[in-house]
Amino acid sequence: MAFFAELRRRNVFKVALLFAVASWLVVWLLDGARESVQLPVWTETFVYVVIALGFPLALLFAWTYEITPTGLKKAIDVDQTQSLVFKTGQKLNAAVSVLLVLGALAVVGERLLPTFEFLVPGVPEGDAPMATTTPPEIRSLTLDNGLKIIVWPDHDIPNVVMYTFVRAGGRNEYPGITGVSHFFEHMMFLGTDKRAPGEFDTTMEAAGGANNAYTSSDVTVYQDWFPRSALETIFELEGDRFENLAIVPEVFESERKVVYSERRSGIDNNNFRMLGEQVQATAYVAHPYQFTVIGWPSDIESWTQEDLANYYRTYYAPNNRTVVVSGDVTTEEIFELAEEYFAPTPAQEPPPPIRTVEPEQLGPRRLVVETSAQTPMLHLAFHAASAADPETLSMNLLLNILVGGESSRLHQLLVEKEGLAISVGGYQDEGFDPGLAYFYLTLPPGGDPAELERRVLDELARVADEGVTDAELNKARNIVLADFWRELATINGKASAIGNYEVFQGNYEKLFRLPADMEAITSEDLRAVAAQVFRVNNMTAGVLRAPDAEGSQ
Amino acid sequence: MIRMCCRVLAFVGILASGASLAQGVTLPDARQVELDNGAVIILHEKRDVPLVGAEVTLRGGAVSDPEGRAGLASLLAGLLEKGAGDRDAASFAEAIAAVGGSLSAAAELEAITISADFMARDADLMVELLVDMLQRPSLSAKEVTKLRDRRIDLIRAAKDNDPRRLISTYGNAFLFDGHPYGTPVNGSETSLGKISHREVQAYYDDYVGADRLVISVVGDFDADAMASKLSEAFANWRAAKAPLPEIESPAPQSGRRVLLVDKPGATQSYFWIGNVGVGRDYEQRAELDIANTLFGGRFTSLLVNELRTKAGLTYGASSSLRRPTKAGSVAIVSYTKTESTIEAIDMSLEVLAKLRNEGFAEELITSAKNYILGLYAPRLETSAQLAAQFAALQTYGLDASYVNDYGAAVAGAGSESIQSVIMSVYPSPDDLVFVVLGDAELIRDDVAKYGPITEMAITDPRFLP
Repeated sequence: MAFFAELRRRNVFKVALLFAVASWLVVWLLDGARESVQLPVWTETFVYVVIALGFPLALLFAWTYEITPTGLKKAIDVDQTQSLVFKTGQKLNAAVSVLLVLGALAVVGERLLPTFEFLVPGVPEGDAPMATTTPPEIRSLTLDNGLKIIVWPDHDIPNVVMYTFVRAGGRNEYPGITGVSHFFEHMMFLGTDKRAPGEFDTTMEAAGGANNAYTSSDVTVYQDWFPRSALETIFELEGDRFENLAIVPEVFESERKVVYSERRSGIDNNNFRMLGEQVQATAYVAHPYQFTVIGWPSDIESWTQEDLANYYRTYYAPNNRTVVVSGDVTTEEIFELAEEYFAPTPAQEPPPPIRTVEPEQLGPRRLVVETSAQTPMLHLAFHAASAADPETLSMNLLLNILVGGESSRLHQLLVEKEGLAISVGGYQDEGFDPGLAYFYLTLPPGGDPAELERRVLDELARVADEGVTDAELNKARNIVLADFWRELATINGKASAIGNYEVFQGNYEKLFRLPADMEAITSEDLRAVAAQVFRVNNMTAGVLRAPDAEGSQ
Repeated sequence: MIRMCCRVLAFVGILASGASLAQGVTLPDARQVELDNGAVIILHEKRDVPLVGAEVTLRGGAVSDPEGRAGLASLLAGLLEKGAGDRDAASFAEAIAAVGGSLSAAAELEAITISADFMARDADLMVELLVDMLQRPSLSAKEVTKLRDRRIDLIRAAKDNDPRRLISTYGNAFLFDGHPYGTPVNGSETSLGKISHREVQAYYDDYVGADRLVISVVGDFDADAMASKLSEAFANWRAAKAPLPEIESPAPQSGRRVLLVDKPGATQSYFWIGNVGVGRDYEQRAELDIANTLFGGRFTSLLVNELRTKAGLTYGASSSLRRPTKAGSVAIVSYTKTESTIEAIDMSLEVLAKLRNEGFAEELITSAKNYILGLYAPRLETSAQLAAQFAALQTYGLDASYVNDYGAAVAGAGSESIQSVIMSVYPSPDDLVFVVLGDAELIRDDVAKYGPITEMAITDPRFLP
């Protein structure tokens, strides 16, 4: 008991309390500061370590020293009758009180202010959704070789997602090598200087991870999903294949057949995509977006190993990639792993730019695909904008109004009221260069594609003329906003969203401006983009029907 | 302050969890309310994003389709969205879309399910729509005819497109031949064509009601308020009139038989090779999942490795397990260019024989365990996923241990018990049902070697000859 009394006399408890309150405030302020100031990534760890080490030191200091009128003295050297420990204690009490009041005010103040809190408070129907800002825990680092890595920590589940975006796809091809970007995607799983074909997958799956990849006209994207425990394995695997890929001739030939099977399944025995491929090829006369991503059959049969080697050197350099990691990680450890596994690969000359600009279309283009079909199809494509063009968001909202779900204009009119179609849908390309706004419709057996096309064009002309209602615009905003939250509900969606914004908009922070950007768009913007894009002279129309069907063109 | 605490805890959590492999998932404790009429309400608050997910199930589903009316449960599910309460079909759709909500009703083999996902601010509207579509659907004659006829055309459209989406429908129909588990869940052109407006209404009275209802809501809402709201809305709802059908255990196939579905001009053959398997509550589920992962459940599995990676015969090959209440099906599914049809099917049978004769090395079993456990958590990450899991457990009479004990069961599975599971679940190559869909003229003679052939055209308006 005497010991405790002495602890108390020497203000050790009060110092402990003061230390705790002050630490809390520091951590809290640090937390808040990160929203506005870009602090070094190690700051957080550093502060925790200082606090953890400082606590016993402070107690020891309080025990050992006393404040006296002549300065600090060792407590055992101070005459207890002259001791000022009581006054020092009062000062400590005052300090604790002040800090507590400050802290309480700050916390209450923060609660009242709509800061970065990742929540949209209850907004009544029709009102503007709240703006969001970039969550401060997202950080990025660019290595010396030009590879940028973005990290979004999220500790909800003990899993991690890694996306690697390579800026290479169908638009980087030319006649003779069409499909090579996608074929290359396959080869990236099939052997390095260190690993035999297949080892990449067996290693990853044994560590509890799974992977996939996709290729578009613009990018090739590699996806890894894995438990936190596999983190270093994944970095090692990815670092290896991006630096040491080895093309084994027998594997090359076998995988050529796999890709041909993929083409047969995806396109040749699938009327929807068979027509889509033809429309895409017809809509462009100059730009490489005309190439089918899977490749034309003759090119699939004739790719050479040399095509692949050139491709790897040019497009898979670190300065042409962006990596996104989301999940149960810290930014510090990811940056360290990136330095260890991704930094050694040297940068390369940037790939040659795509110079060709699609010339203005001068009149409607039409094509027919004849194949066995019970249900005819109609696809309509219009040249529109690139992903980064502000018009693209207007078009996105407009397409939601026209073909987004059962309540959309075209579904209600053509499917529910007139029965001219059994399904309608649409999308727009969001790539580096201007792409297509696309409508696809399936007709009932015996349906008349020409009549359906007229009805669609009437509706598109109407929206170009009259615009949309405020209720429709609000609906479209809400659909996009809800989809934004659905995507951010998973670590996979987070990595995908961040990566796509970084690659196609040039800055991942733009993702969080989406709600505000939508608010700025008016009904007139939608009308203007409709008038600009939905012109018959800007249209490619494709019809798929059975050979014996009555000619309806 | 709350935010800071979470961050500090997460920081400590990372340090602590660094070394160990994931060991499965523990479901959060949800609140459960059981009403006197049998309806069960399950609620759990989850506030990471401002969304609310709901999963509604009605036990029954396609197995309760009347004789010759396959697709009735599915059609009814679709019609629940076509107007309810004071809203007609168009305004019902508009109410959902206007707030960016998503809501869809569908039939499964043993339940009708409604999945809804709304922004948190619209939770009241979501409940209103769900209550209306369950208790006051319009089921108007006009909408019945329109949706039924459109569904018929959509099946025709599906037959024009990727056969991978249909091959299992043919497979289960042919394997279970007449047993309810062979019912094409969304019907066929023929069965849908027979359904009348009166039959839809009768089905609603007979098979939709509180006694077989589960509503599970997870997300950013107040559980107390939601509990009273839902209890009030459903406390006085009626029970369904007809009892749920008793389903007999299906008899496994002995010997072989072949269904050849002709799609003239197809450049690929698609095949489904299977037999009767096991049910949802199969005792050695963990062992079976490990075996299936290694047989055809992941990229480095036996089937993918042999058919795709080594032989280049196909883009995809897998083994699928369908596990309803009684024994479902187990099947190999793949496709290849027309000329290599026999080579690919023969190879699949060799892989099946190899599975049964050789089993798996210890190292592969460990790999499969890591794979299953490592990827389990993301399956229960969102509010909508959790809502669906809670609803499924309640609907099928399972408890949380089905999820919570799974990790330990997988981790503890031994190679001998895995091998005995393989022998009892995966059929002998002598006892198989084959469905081959492709250009019959080019493959008819060759596939005859697998057994007696039954042939039909893909344009035949049904999934069985």
